[in-house]
Amino acid sequence: MTGQRVSPKREPGESPPLPALAAIVAVARFQIDRLLTPPRLALAAIGVIFPTAVLLAAARARGASLEHDLGAILLYALVPEAVCMLGLLVTISPAVADELERGTWVHVAVRPGGRRALLLGTWLAAVLWTGAVALSGLLLALLTGVISNGWSLLGPFAILVCLSCIGRAALFSLPAVIVPKRSLVASVGVALVVEYLAGLIPAVVNQLTISLRLHTLLVRWMGWRRSITPELQLLIDDRPPWAQVTAVFILAAAFLAIAVAILEWRQFPPSEES
Amino acid sequence: MISLTHVTKLYGSVIGVNDVTVELGSGAYGLLGPNGAGKTTFLGLVTGQLRPSIGQVRVFGERPFFNARVLRRIGYCPASDLTERSATPREWVRYLVQLSGFTPAAALKRANSTLEQVGLGEAAGRPLSTLSKGMRQRAKLAGAIAHDPDLLVLDEPFDGLDPVARHELVSLVRTWARSRSLLVASHLLHEVEALQAGLAVILGGRLVASGTVHEIRDLIDTLPSEVRVVSTAPRRLAELACGCPEAEAVRFVGDDTFVVDTRAPRLLAERIGEAAIGEGILVLELIPGDRSLEGIFGRLVQLHRGVTP
Repeated sequence: MTGQRVSPKREPGESPPLPALAAIVAVARFQIDRLLTPPRLALAAIGVIFPTAVLLAAARARGASLEHDLGAILLYALVPEAVCMLGLLVTISPAVADELERGTWVHVAVRPGGRRALLLGTWLAAVLWTGAVALSGLLLALLTGVISNGWSLLGPFAILVCLSCIGRAALFSLPAVIVPKRSLVASVGVALVVEYLAGLIPAVVNQLTISLRLHTLLVRWMGWRRSITPELQLLIDDRPPWAQVTAVFILAAAFLAIAVAILEWRQFPPSEES
Repeated sequence: MISLTHVTKLYGSVIGVNDVTVELGSGAYGLLGPNGAGKTTFLGLVTGQLRPSIGQVRVFGERPFFNARVLRRIGYCPASDLTERSATPREWVRYLVQLSGFTPAAALKRANSTLEQVGLGEAAGRPLSTLSKGMRQRAKLAGAIAHDPDLLVLDEPFDGLDPVARHELVSLVRTWARSRSLLVASHLLHEVEALQAGLAVILGGRLVASGTVHEIRDLIDTLPSEVRVVSTAPRRLAELACGCPEAEAVRFVGDDTFVVDTRAPRLLAERIGEAAIGEGILVLELIPGDRSLEGIFGRLVQLHRGVTP
């Protein structure tokens, strides 16, 4: 090398390097900024209004407000399932494909810890964005008073929404890194096959699904444990709610760890980077 | 600084680079080659984006793939256009600097100063989608140098730029490279020459030549070349050309055109010109083999392909 360095690595008084968490937060912030576009905001608005619209239509068909249990079942299908699932599909599935398409992948991947920060930051952004949309949808549905004694559902359903987002965003991060160019289709397949098919099989395989944990928590918190049929009892887990919540976090951590390991080891030929 | 030892990179059955062995010390280097020659694969190996299928890559003495210590010291500006649309250059560069381990405040400070340095100070707040290609190239460059790397790697940095933007970017990179190491992949050879960089020529995934511009020129001087002459008295002039010590063979390629094989085309062209003046022969064309960097590159490509003059 010729000559002396023009400037030192870090100027006096400049902050020391941040831990990996800060890089993840930086990615999450950048990804949320990317989501603040009119089409994405319109999609989010639809996600907020959709559950209330369906509940109002159901109540209108019945000619009265929905009973507590029926309302809870509909609300569960609409918010922690439909809204969360669809929201996560469009936010976490293209985590890598979007970067490749925008030509930004290599800029991020060449940074120390960039791949890990990209995936975990996008996961965090997907959880925050989809969680905010789903919780807003939940609040709007309860505000309309379409469900009898609906406010009692707020706490349990808010937790279900958070768990759904945390667990399923982690699950969808796997197809995002394994088949980035077909990640949306693969994620839909994972949602159908893993979450809805395997989740309803009363065998060891359903222990690995987020659906089982959410179903179980719903049944427990709604007090339906003794009233459901023996056949349906097979579709829920016997362990207590804290164990279900812990299981979601363990599954999410495992899915993310596998996804990060795959992404750290992946190579994209130059032809795939643009 | 960069060491590749018998490195081969395969994409399935397609060869990216083929048995490349090269040592590049600190300083500025140009990696030359036509499209598809393996330049981007070479850079991908150096910047830790790709693992070699065979062989060993070392940058700053360490394996670059999945190595944060090495990646922290590298700045990379890829060839692909930045299609990030909604962000501004300031947001984009700050984001990248944060990913390199700086706090948001420090990253913003560095982003602002680097954007000023690359001449994007005034446009730093405009969305990237509203900027010209040249400005986006500058934003890319700012993102690559803002964290103050020891090695800057640029892939076709001047591609698609107008002459003014190209000149400015060359000056910028040359200034930057005075105190740090630089590796530039390009097929625009005169810009690499303007960077006063050493050269490595890659073709078909193989490194076919490396050294300084002068070393490459010396190498090419040992290679066969030619002088093409078009004249109204070609046979007489060919006789005179045969008398020159630099002439190795003469062949006619048309009624008024002949070609002299030589290893010193410029000198021979001068001698033929002088002989023509002395004999009063009208010379319509007198074209020595190209010794510009483009010419050298073209000759190396031809030789690699087994094309004889």
